[in-house]
Amino acid sequence: MENTVLCVRWGDKYDNTYVEKLKEQCEEHCSVPFNFYCLTEKPIQPYDVLLPTYWDKYYLEDRGFFWAYRKYYAFALNDDPKILPKIQGNKFLLLDLDVVIHQDLKYFFDLPMDKPWIVRGWWNNPDTIKRNFAKHKSTPINSSVIRWDRGQLETIVKKINKNVEVIFFTYPSADNYFNHHWYNVWNEEKGFFRGFPQGDIYSWYKGNVFPDDMTANKIREDHKICLFNNSGYGEGEYDEEIKDLW
Amino acid sequence: MVNHIRYTPELAADWKQASADVKKDYPHQFRRTLDASTSSQLESKLWVVTELLKLPDLMDSPRVALIGGWFANYITPLLIDGLGAAVVFNYEIDQDAKEISYKYNKRYKDSAEYQCSVKDVMMKTLEDEYDIVINCSCEHMYPMTKFYEWNPDLPDPIYVLQSTDDDQYDDHINCVGSPEELAEQAKLWPSLAYSGTKVLSNGMNRFMVIGYPR
Repeated sequence: MENTVLCVRWGDKYDNTYVEKLKEQCEEHCSVPFNFYCLTEKPIQPYDVLLPTYWDKYYLEDRGFFWAYRKYYAFALNDDPKILPKIQGNKFLLLDLDVVIHQDLKYFFDLPMDKPWIVRGWWNNPDTIKRNFAKHKSTPINSSVIRWDRGQLETIVKKINKNVEVIFFTYPSADNYFNHHWYNVWNEEKGFFRGFPQGDIYSWYKGNVFPDDMTANKIREDHKICLFNNSGYGEGEYDEEIKDLW
Repeated sequence: MVNHIRYTPELAADWKQASADVKKDYPHQFRRTLDASTSSQLESKLWVVTELLKLPDLMDSPRVALIGGWFANYITPLLIDGLGAAVVFNYEIDQDAKEISYKYNKRYKDSAEYQCSVKDVMMKTLEDEYDIVINCSCEHMYPMTKFYEWNPDLPDPIYVLQSTDDDQYDDHINCVGSPEELAEQAKLWPSLAYSGTKVLSNGMNRFMVIGYPR
């Protein structure tokens, strides 16, 4: 099968019920065949794939910067075939564990792929997010949902590897780094990523589109996916609210 | 001691137009242009030129690279009019900062004395050679050792570095506790041409070191 859904689980924030729930949602909301894998440090299930660790030594725990870096091993599928040999497919959809899927994921696999796609946080005030790349936690893009074809994100892995010390030191999150180097908030056509359009993905905690549709804690079933990630929650913290909505 | 900027009619015209354009085209940057125009900002830039002018071996008409020079509204006229710099090249990561810096320094942009490039110098090599490299924003970025790694062929410029111990801001990601620590981090220690501390009018401790990396 060429369609593949990927997720990543590490640490104690999410237990395997989140992976199972994501898989269940995908099976319910995807009308085309797909592979499903979870990159994890503790592989147990048949769909689990062992997470690489080669970036661990650059993570400065006391700073807490670039904390979600493990997600970006998923971009390295072709970087070293020995690292993630099990993962099949050519069309990839990365989903965070804390999402609620409302509509058919086939939409994402059918997108034109002249550029990879990433969440555009339409709920952010664009004037605020233009100001400072390293400072603002609420970036114009959000890596909770990413769609790419095999090989399309290798260049990012190469750039991270080339500048790994600076990137881990400088950026509070990978989204800040992506926003600075791989997305053009002034002119999306000039950026590496394309943002999913308005109406596709919204935020449970922050709203949908600034400034007109910013009601938080509201389900919008006419959208494809709801994000639960919350910049106010750090790694290792826990948010039970999503379970009420599954 | 350099204690002022020459407020010429040309400067007045550029700054007046820059203020009007920011208000109209970059309203989200208005607050930041105020932050870049404080007395403390001016004090720290006057300090740079004051100490550079004291150096016995400072060359005539130096070519100057600014690292993260932001709007470069104060430092550019001080370097060109006060120090006699032949060119000031600002390497910034922010497209808005580049465009606004060209408005504050239009007279120098038009004469090619001021240029700005959007480039992260901790990840890429400079395009040209310089006699002086000035980084008044060390607290905002990775230590300068990475800059040296990217630019091994720079022909021995002198470095002017400023930082602070004020770590209350999220984007102050690389504060230091003293000018000695700044010099050590940037591998300028111990052969320094200058090392000092200044308490700015906003209360911030500002550290500055000048020297050649060992």
